[in-house]
Amino acid sequence: MQLSDTLLEDRPEQTFFEDPALDRAFGVVMALATEVYVLRDRARALERKLEAAGVIEPGGLDAEPGDEERAADAGDREAFVEGLMISLLGKQQAKGAS
Amino acid sequence: MDDRSFVAAQDFLLASKTYWTKRIYPELKKTYETAAGAAPAPPETPAEVAALLEGEVLYRYFSWLERHLQRFKYAGRYGLVPYHDERRAALSAELRDTDAELAPGLEMPNYYQRVDIHQHPGGVWSDELDGYVYERGARSTTPLMGAAHGDLHHRFTDLVAARGGAKDILDMGCGFGKSTHPFCTSFPTARVEAIDLSGPCVSLGAHDAQTKGSGNVRFRQMNAYETDYDDGSFDLVTSTMVIHELPPREIERMFTEAARVLAPGGRMAHLDFYTIDGPFARFIHYGHGRRNNEPFMQPLAEMDLHASLTEKGFTNIEVIPFKEAEGVGESGNDAWRFPWTVIMAEKMP
Ligand SMILES: C[S@@+](CC[C@H](N)C(=O)[O-])C[C@H]1O[C@@H](n2cnc3c(N)ncnc32)[C@H](O)[C@@H]1O
Repeated sequence: MQLSDTLLEDRPEQTFFEDPALDRAFGVVMALATEVYVLRDRARALERKLEAAGVIEPGGLDAEPGDEERAADAGDREAFVEGLMISLLGKQQAKGAS
Repeated sequence: MDDRSFVAAQDFLLASKTYWTKRIYPELKKTYETAAGAAPAPPETPAEVAALLEGEVLYRYFSWLERHLQRFKYAGRYGLVPYHDERRAALSAELRDTDAELAPGLEMPNYYQRVDIHQHPGGVWSDELDGYVYERGARSTTPLMGAAHGDLHHRFTDLVAARGGAKDILDMGCGFGKSTHPFCTSFPTARVEAIDLSGPCVSLGAHDAQTKGSGNVRFRQMNAYETDYDDGSFDLVTSTMVIHELPPREIERMFTEAARVLAPGGRMAHLDFYTIDGPFARFIHYGHGRRNNEPFMQPLAEMDLHASLTEKGFTNIEVIPFKEAEGVGESGNDAWRFPWTVIMAEKMP
């Protein structure tokens, strides 16, 4: 079953904000928040299993990462931020008509 | 979707709903009280409350969350409907051998088909798995009670049992039997008939009754205002959270039918949402009906049930507020709640 199967073409969703764009955008925010929570839950479950198997110490991932580890992730962080923020610039990324 | 992700997402939605119940609603009430205090005259009607609140940003978020957390719960990526749909083969096999009495040709009333009640896509009746979807959803309908949601049904049957015994009980709009089972245990020697329009719900009810070994109950697919029982077949007719789903005309027919199937001196006991204290609570409740796809909440709240029952020959009519859990509605507990009400009456001896 696709989520789109549940969309009713002739019944527009209720709106509560002055700008209906906010109604829709907040829906995206809550959907993302749900995904974030699902990921948190999974990561925690994974840590518990790794601890139980003796692969990591209890709280083994909680300590501050060393400079070397942070430096190793710097490129990933930068790419993540750019992907998140690039839309704010309001520029075309593929040449359009004007 | 895997089970763990489903549960994590549903837990997140429930936690969000609980925050709405315990933090956002009391804050909205405070906002209202401040605005009402500053108004030239205190609001007396829901429309006057609306005029004060509808422009408030907090009210907009309150409303948005009330509608959309429920939408996500049922129809989101981790919703109840897609979750059960992915498990269709196993679940439908479970229901194959139930002894529910189904009525495949039964006409579904217009009001029942027109709106998907409480935002359950397709309603609680159009898909074979709807009983499961509804059962899972009902576990978190009232976030304050969490796992103790069952308490509410038992508190109701305790109250009914305290008023006297019963030998033959009819549970109208039994759903998947959550309201029926407490009657079976509170009245262990009674014969219990459980009826509902939804085939998928009565199938699950019968399946659960078999599993639990409740021998004194029968689940049948039937319309509550058009049953096939003989006149005077019951000494207790009950319903839980059903009346508000019917339009006023059908509610009248349901009471007429209850009067017909009750033996002289028999009694009725219904648990629903009816007595509302003040214009703010009324405004909130009517809004809930709109936002949650429960279009007949408001018409019910505006009916004169006492007059309607009197006209049908009922006596000893009682309409009393009901506490669905310990500590609710007390001072210092400002959380959102339904206007739970018990409606009881007796048929003339
Ligand atoms: C909110 S559920 C409550 C179910 C159950 N009584 C409980 O407490 O869990 C309302 C039920 O009323 C049923 N219903 C609505 N209209 C009905 C009618 N005219 N006759 C029989 N059942 C009806 C619905 O199918 C649904 O299962």
